[in-house]
Amino acid sequence: MAELPQPVSFLVRGVRVALALILMVSASMAQAAADPIDRSALARAVCSDGAGLARGADDVVRSAATASADDLAFSGSILRALLDRRLACVGDTSVLLDRPGGSEGRDAATGATRSAAGARSPVLGLRQRGLVETGAGVVALLTGASTAQRSAGLATLERRAAAVPEADTILERARAAETDAVLRAAIVQAMQAAALNAPEPARRRAAIGAIADAPSSAARSRLASLRTDPAYAADPAFKAALDAGIARVERAVTIGDGLALSYNALSFASILFMAAVGLAIIFGLMGVINLAQGELIMVGAYAAYGVQEAFRMVAPGLIDLYLVAAIPVAFLASAGVGIVVEALILRHLYRRPLMSLLATWAVSLFLINLVRVVFGSQNLQFGMPSYVSGGVPLYADFIVTWNRLFAIAFAAVTLAATLLILKRTPLGLDIRAVTQNRDMAGALGIRTRRVDRLAFGFGSGLAGLAGVALCPIYSVNPGMGATFIVDSFMVVVLGGVGTVVGTVVAALGIGGANVLIEPFYGAVAAKVIVLVGIIVFLQRRPEGLFVARRRR
Amino acid sequence: MGPMAEFTRRGLIGTAAALAAPALIRPAWAAETVKLGCLFSSSGTMANIEGRLNYVVRMAADQLNAKGGVNGRQVEVVTSDPASDWPLYAQIGRQMLQQEKVAALFGCWTSVSRKSVLPVVEQNDGLLFYPLHFEGEENSKNVVYVNSPPASSVLPAVDYLMGSEGVSAKRFFMIGSDYVWPRTINKILKGYWASKGIAESAWREEYVPLGFSNFQTLVNQIRTFAAQPGGQPIVVLTVVGSSIPDFLREFANQGILATDVPILGLDMVEADLEGLDTTKLIGHLNCWAYLQAAKGERNAAFLSDWAAYVKAKNVPFSADTVIDPMVSAYDSVQLWALAAAKAKSFAVPEVRKAFAGLSYEGPSGYTLTMTGENNYVSRGIFIGSVNEKRGFDVLWQSPDAPKPVPFSPYG
Repeated sequence: MAELPQPVSFLVRGVRVALALILMVSASMAQAAADPIDRSALARAVCSDGAGLARGADDVVRSAATASADDLAFSGSILRALLDRRLACVGDTSVLLDRPGGSEGRDAATGATRSAAGARSPVLGLRQRGLVETGAGVVALLTGASTAQRSAGLATLERRAAAVPEADTILERARAAETDAVLRAAIVQAMQAAALNAPEPARRRAAIGAIADAPSSAARSRLASLRTDPAYAADPAFKAALDAGIARVERAVTIGDGLALSYNALSFASILFMAAVGLAIIFGLMGVINLAQGELIMVGAYAAYGVQEAFRMVAPGLIDLYLVAAIPVAFLASAGVGIVVEALILRHLYRRPLMSLLATWAVSLFLINLVRVVFGSQNLQFGMPSYVSGGVPLYADFIVTWNRLFAIAFAAVTLAATLLILKRTPLGLDIRAVTQNRDMAGALGIRTRRVDRLAFGFGSGLAGLAGVALCPIYSVNPGMGATFIVDSFMVVVLGGVGTVVGTVVAALGIGGANVLIEPFYGAVAAKVIVLVGIIVFLQRRPEGLFVARRRR
Repeated sequence: MGPMAEFTRRGLIGTAAALAAPALIRPAWAAETVKLGCLFSSSGTMANIEGRLNYVVRMAADQLNAKGGVNGRQVEVVTSDPASDWPLYAQIGRQMLQQEKVAALFGCWTSVSRKSVLPVVEQNDGLLFYPLHFEGEENSKNVVYVNSPPASSVLPAVDYLMGSEGVSAKRFFMIGSDYVWPRTINKILKGYWASKGIAESAWREEYVPLGFSNFQTLVNQIRTFAAQPGGQPIVVLTVVGSSIPDFLREFANQGILATDVPILGLDMVEADLEGLDTTKLIGHLNCWAYLQAAKGERNAAFLSDWAAYVKAKNVPFSADTVIDPMVSAYDSVQLWALAAAKAKSFAVPEVRKAFAGLSYEGPSGYTLTMTGENNYVSRGIFIGSVNEKRGFDVLWQSPDAPKPVPFSPYG
C-alpha cells in the first residue's frame, strides 16, 4: 500500500472491517437461505428450461452440506430419475416413473399418483448432465444405503472436485456420518487433497502429499499449476513439498505408462495370436492357404451369439455365464464348418495350392453372404457381462480393461491347450508326424487323410475360439473376418510355418512393435513400418523366425 | 419387389446388352416413364448403411406415382450394386446416363465415390443428387448437394460445444480415418480455431487406417491429453465404418464419461450404436440435418410411411431406424420432382434452371430452399445426444435453415 496519511489509512481499515462484516453476514444469510432445499422449486426447476435445470441441480450441491437427510433423499430421487430417464414432465410438474417410458408415476412434489400421458422427458445437455451427475453423486455419498453407492458418490465428487467449491464441508459431513472404516479413510484422504488451497501452510503441504499418494496425469497437472503460486517462491518448505510431490507423481506416471504400454502390446499380441494360431496349424500341416480363416472366426462369434440367445430364452438367470458356455459351442461350430469344407472341397485340391487358395476364398465369400442373408448385415447385439465390460484403474494412469484381460487369459489358455494337444496326445503325434514327412508317415500306417481332416477341424475350431475371445472387443458382423486375415498371415509367415511357438513370438513381436511405434508416428505409419520390417526380415530369412523340422 | 422380378423381352435384351457390365435391375413397365438411377451399394463395406437408400428412393417414387407421376409420366427407379468399389460407381453411372437415359442419379455415400462419379456426370451433363453431409470445397453444376457443407453442420456443432450451453470446450483431440473427408474437415476446423485466436497447442490430430479397430493406445493418449491443463477437452471423431463402434467401446471401457470428455461423432448414426451398451455412452454428440427424434407431423408421416413400406415390400432393413441420409435421399427425389414439374421438362438444363427459388418442406421440419446461385440446399441443423436406447435425442436445433457456404473461408 502506498503511503497514506494516518487518518485516511484508519478510515480505509474501518471500511474494510465493515465490508468484511457485511460479507460475512450476507454469506451466512445466503447459507441459511440455502439450508432447506425448496422441494417444490426443485421439482419445477427440473421441468423448466436448461438454465433452470442447471440451477436446480447446482442448488442441491450447494446446500448438500447442511440440508436435512429427508431433503437430500428427495433431491436424490429426482436427480437419479433424471439420469435414468424416469422423470417425465407434464407442463412444469415433474412425475417420477418406475421405469423409463412408464405410463404412470407419482408427482415428485406431492407424491400423488399421476398419469404420464403426453409428458415429455427432458434431454440433458452436457452442462446440465455434469451438474446432475455431481448432485446425484453428492447425495449418494451422504445418504447412499450401501457402501458401494457411497463410494461411487465419493468417486464422482473427486472427479468434479474442481467444480464444487463446497467439497470441504460436504466431505466433512460424509466423514462424520460414515460407518465403513475403509470408505472413511478414503474420505479423509479426499479431504486432505481438497485442502490444497487452504490458508494454513501445513494443510496445504499435507494436501500435496495426499494428491501425490494417488498419482495420475491429472494429479500432475494439478500440482504443476501450483508452481505459479506465490507460496512456491516465498515458502521453502512449500517449494520442497511441491517439488517432491511432483517428482513422485511423475515417476509413478512414467511407470504407469510403461505398464499401460506393455498391457496394450500384450493384449494386441493375444488378439493376433488367437486369430493366427488355427491358421498356423492348417497352413503348417497342409500348406493350404486358408483365406476363409477370418470367416471361421466370424462363425465362432455368431455361435457365441446363438448361445447368448439360447440362455436368454432358457436360463435368463445364468445369462452372465454365456461367454463361458459359448467356448465349446463356438469350437465345435467352426470345427464342423471346417471339416465340411475339407471333406467337400479341399481334399480334392491338395498339392494344388493355387486352386485351394481360390477355393477357400470362394468359401469365405459364401460364408459372408450366407450370414448376411440369414442374420442381416448389422452388428450383433451382445449383452456384455460385468466381467468383460469396464475396467479398473490399477496404478497411475494404467487401467486394466476387462475385455482385453479376458482376451489375454483366453489366449494363454488356448496356447497351453494347443501345446498339450500337439505334444501329449496321439492326434498331436500324428499331426507332427504328417507335418514333418507326409509320405513316410503314410508308409508307417498313419491315415494321413484322416489326420488332415482332424487337423483342419482343429485349426478351424481354434478360429472359432478366437471369435468368442474377440466378441467383447470388436463389433460382430458378417464382414468382421476380413479385418483379421491379413494380420494372421503376417504372424504365421513371420513366425515360421507350422510352429506354435513361432506364432506366439511373432504375435508378440508384431503386437509390441505396433503399440510401440503408434504413439510416435501414428497408427497409419505404425502399420506401414511393421509391414516393411517384416518384408525386410523375410528377405534375409524366408523361412521365418522358427523352422519346423521337415524331411522331404 | 413386385414388377422388378417380372421377365420381359425388353429386360432380356437389356440383360444381354449388359452382360459384360454389372446388371441393372429395373421395373418391367417401360413405355411412357421417366427413369431415375440409384448408385448405392448393397454389398461390400457400405452395404449396411447405403443399401437402405435404394429402398427410400423407390418409396419416394412410388408415392409420386400414386399421385399421378411427374409431368404426366410414371417414375421408374433403376437400381444397381456398385459393391462399395469406388471406380464401379463411375462405370455404372455412365451406363445409366448413356444407355438407360436416366433423368437424374441419386447416389454415393463416401466423398471418394462422389469424386469418382463427378467427371462422368459432367461429361454427360447429367444430374447427381448427393444425400450426405460432406467436406464442401466443390461446386459442380451437375451435382445437387442436398446435405450440408461444414459451415452449416460441423462448425455450428463445434460452436455449441465451445459455448457455455455446451461445455466451454477449449482443447480438441481430432481422430479420423485416413482419407479425404476427415482430413478436409480437420483442416477447416484448424483454420476456424486459428481464426478465433486459439493456439495450435490446443489441438491434436491423429489418423488411423480405414477399418482400424485397436484403439487402446489412442484412448490412453486422449486420457493424458484430457489431464493436461488448459481447459475442457473434446474429441472430434471422423473415423468411419466399423471403427466407430470399436472406438466407442474402448472409450467407455476406459471409464471416460461424456461429461469428462465429450465426443462429437461427425459420421455417427444410430446404426453405429447397434451392438453397444450405450448406458456408458450417454451424452456423446453427433450433428446432422435430420434426426429421427425430430418433431413434427411430416416426420411422423415419414416414419410411418417407411415402417409400412418395409413391411409391405419385405425390405431387409430395420423398420424403426431412420437416419439422415435416408431422409436426404427422399428429399432429393422430391426436389427433383418439384424442379421437373416447375420446368415442365426432364431435360437437365431446364430442371437445373428450375432449382432457383425452389422450396420444399421435408420430414426434418425445416423448409429446404435452393437459390440458383449454386446447387446447394439450405438445411436445418440438429445436434443429437446419445441416449440409453441406442438412439439420439435432439439436444439443440437451429432456429432456421442457414444459407449454405460451399467454400469454407477456413480451409
